[in-house]
Amino acid sequence: MTSIISSLSRELRAVWMLLFVCVILFIATPLFLTGDNLLNVLLAASVTALLAAGQTYVIILAEIDLSVGAILGISSIVTAFTLQDHSLAVGLLAGWSVGAVAGLVNGILVTTLRMPSFIATLAMMSVLSGLTLQFSQGNPVSIRSEAFLNIGQSHLLGVPAPVWIMLVAFLLFGFLLARSRFGRYVYAVGDNADAARLAGIKVHRVKILAFVISGLLSATAGFILAARLGTAQPTAGTGLELAAIAAVIIGGTSLAGGRGALAGTLIGALLLGVIDNGLNLLDVSPFLQGVVKGLVILLAIFLDRNSDRVRALVRLVRPSRGSSSGAPHNPINSLTTTGGNS
Amino acid sequence: MRIELHDIHKRFGETEVLSGIDLTVESSEVVALVGENGAGKSTLTRVVSGAHQPESGWISIDGERVVLASPQDALALGIQVIYQEFGHNIFPHLTVAENLFTLDAGTEFGRFFVNKVKMARQARKLLDVIGLDIDPHTPVGRLSVAQMQMLEIAKTAGHHMKLLILDEPTAALDEQESERLFEQIEQLRRSGVAIVYISHRLEEVFRLSQRVVVLRNGIVALEAPTASLDKHQVVSAMVGRTIEDFYPKESHGRDEVVLTCRGLSGADFFDVNFDVRAGEVLGIGGVFGCGKGSVLRGLFGAVPTTAGQVTVAGAVYRPSTPDRAIAAGVGYIPPDRQAEGLCLQQSLSDNLSLASLPSLVVGPLVRRSRERRTTNAVIEDLAIRAPSGSAEVGTLSGGNQQKALFGRWVMTNPKVLMMEEPTRGVDVGAKAEIYRIINEQAALGVAIILVSSDLPELVAMSDRLLVMRRGGVVAELTGDDLTEHTLLEHALESAA
Repeated sequence: MTSIISSLSRELRAVWMLLFVCVILFIATPLFLTGDNLLNVLLAASVTALLAAGQTYVIILAEIDLSVGAILGISSIVTAFTLQDHSLAVGLLAGWSVGAVAGLVNGILVTTLRMPSFIATLAMMSVLSGLTLQFSQGNPVSIRSEAFLNIGQSHLLGVPAPVWIMLVAFLLFGFLLARSRFGRYVYAVGDNADAARLAGIKVHRVKILAFVISGLLSATAGFILAARLGTAQPTAGTGLELAAIAAVIIGGTSLAGGRGALAGTLIGALLLGVIDNGLNLLDVSPFLQGVVKGLVILLAIFLDRNSDRVRALVRLVRPSRGSSSGAPHNPINSLTTTGGNS
Repeated sequence: MRIELHDIHKRFGETEVLSGIDLTVESSEVVALVGENGAGKSTLTRVVSGAHQPESGWISIDGERVVLASPQDALALGIQVIYQEFGHNIFPHLTVAENLFTLDAGTEFGRFFVNKVKMARQARKLLDVIGLDIDPHTPVGRLSVAQMQMLEIAKTAGHHMKLLILDEPTAALDEQESERLFEQIEQLRRSGVAIVYISHRLEEVFRLSQRVVVLRNGIVALEAPTASLDKHQVVSAMVGRTIEDFYPKESHGRDEVVLTCRGLSGADFFDVNFDVRAGEVLGIGGVFGCGKGSVLRGLFGAVPTTAGQVTVAGAVYRPSTPDRAIAAGVGYIPPDRQAEGLCLQQSLSDNLSLASLPSLVVGPLVRRSRERRTTNAVIEDLAIRAPSGSAEVGTLSGGNQQKALFGRWVMTNPKVLMMEEPTRGVDVGAKAEIYRIINEQAALGVAIILVSSDLPELVAMSDRLLVMRRGGVVAELTGDDLTEHTLLEHALESAA
């Protein structure tokens, strides 16, 4: 039991922050804690959350995917065009194919072609957003397919469809990450790629698949955004990659790889959503909202990287009550074994 | 100048590496320091250079006691060390001249802006002194290893120097370059520098030194003028007394051949031939850089091989990638468990099952209860001490980490288990347990290939021993020949 708690502690940190922000907003405004408003928060967070879910896979592998926003843009434009003469299934398939191919290209660039993911996906972001603008000539593409618009606008049991999609995606991919062989390989490769290779894992294949998952989920997020607006905007995804990465990191996934979970990412995305929502309810100038969000991200990462100092500070303020059972930090001994000496 | 070490003790955790070393080095003499791996040579070097602090004992220079709290202190007193891994000390993207005068504490080349012309001129002078013909403007990363080594020596020539310690300086040099190095050493010696020369190559030791000091298990086993010694005496002193019954060797060799290897060649090994039988422990020995580890990596498919036929249990096996090796029943335990072995942030049981997951799945999902059962059984069998299977493997002790790595391969039920430095950096108790694991695997009929630079271990645990030198197998030792003495004679270039 304690081990479960300690293994969750990184995600728990985000839970505490989420609760803290919720309590503050509850006190500050009566509008916050209403069923409609909370559903609004979930609805608004669903796009970021889906992008962040795929990003979690990539970041656990110690890589990064900056192209998720651009993939969202291009796949929604492609889907919108396809829906003009084709059925819903074909449209979705077209969008997903674009997302999967973009992810595949990312994966191949990073593995077989040995490019750092930061640069490779940055370049892909530029290429894809350029292609999107070229296809659409910079104009939004309106969507008339009722069935498609339902993806963003219908409700089931009073809950908007995008929220259901988000929950199902998190359950599915959370289960895949936590319980499948592929999930294990993701953690192992992200932790120590050399060791993973020597344990027989096809490191390239694992990384490519993670980028493909990221591409597929980005396309899905694109469907939701386009369906909610009724049009596919060529610049819809701009800047969303940063929100997605922030959600992953706030959720306790380590940028150094090998650590993290989808549950934390969901909390991280919700936290960002709640902050957005709260700032709107409190009538904070939209110009300042970015400032507040940036500060929250800094705080989350500060707590993550300085947990030992924070704990020491807490102990200083409130003298210890017995031994704390917190898991110690990796005691990687200073290497006294000098390999192959003399 | 006379530097004296008095009763130096140094321990790392449980193990005492230096147990009371007395050593004197005087101006104008070359003292050769020899000993097996782990005898304490490198640690002693680091104590003298201020990188390690001894637990007890003191150092004096010309009778005056000195404290070397840091490498800077040692440098200020004129003590220079050229480490074997000198790669840590170079800046590959900077030029030769910039590398030579990195610190420029005296602001010789300007206070704010650097006078590169003057720097290059000074560098040219230093390079001429040691006869190194390279442009001072060359980025150091473009030099050959030998040139970098010479550059390290040029660096020290730029400082006032009283004591120079060279750790295996010729390991990467060819004959011509070694010759030039020897001339340089001789010249330094004549100019009054005291020199400590660490080498495995006994020929060099006899050629250069005036005095030989043999270290063994952290004590001085032999100290005598070089002229009064011959090579056999030095080797005997390195080996020391016969192996204690610390090594619980059991012989399980059977007749059936499990692995045959014919003409295996790769980047730094060539035409390697051997067979390993079921239950047999085949040792491979040789000095650092002889290619013994690369043979294992080549067989495992972790480094490319260029030629060779291999069979495993009668079936043709082509080494290509680790996953195919595992499928063919070949396992490999790498020498550095933290760098290449374990995923330190993951749990013990995840690390154990990592190579066996293909047999523990239903569809894409891991069968967790079955996984828990098998990993718990391994944890119990191998006596891995951990709070539970879900403990992070990085929090375990070195010995238990190593046992976890063994556990991963034991779980795959290998036909051939290859291991490199299986007991590096683990304490005595864990060592004995690892030997027990090796015995148990041998008893099960696993063919074991053991590569180790711990000679007593290698000799004691092997049923048969191959000796490699410069990428080739030079001897096969069995029975009465299987001793540290014969191994060293074949492995060192002094062998006739």
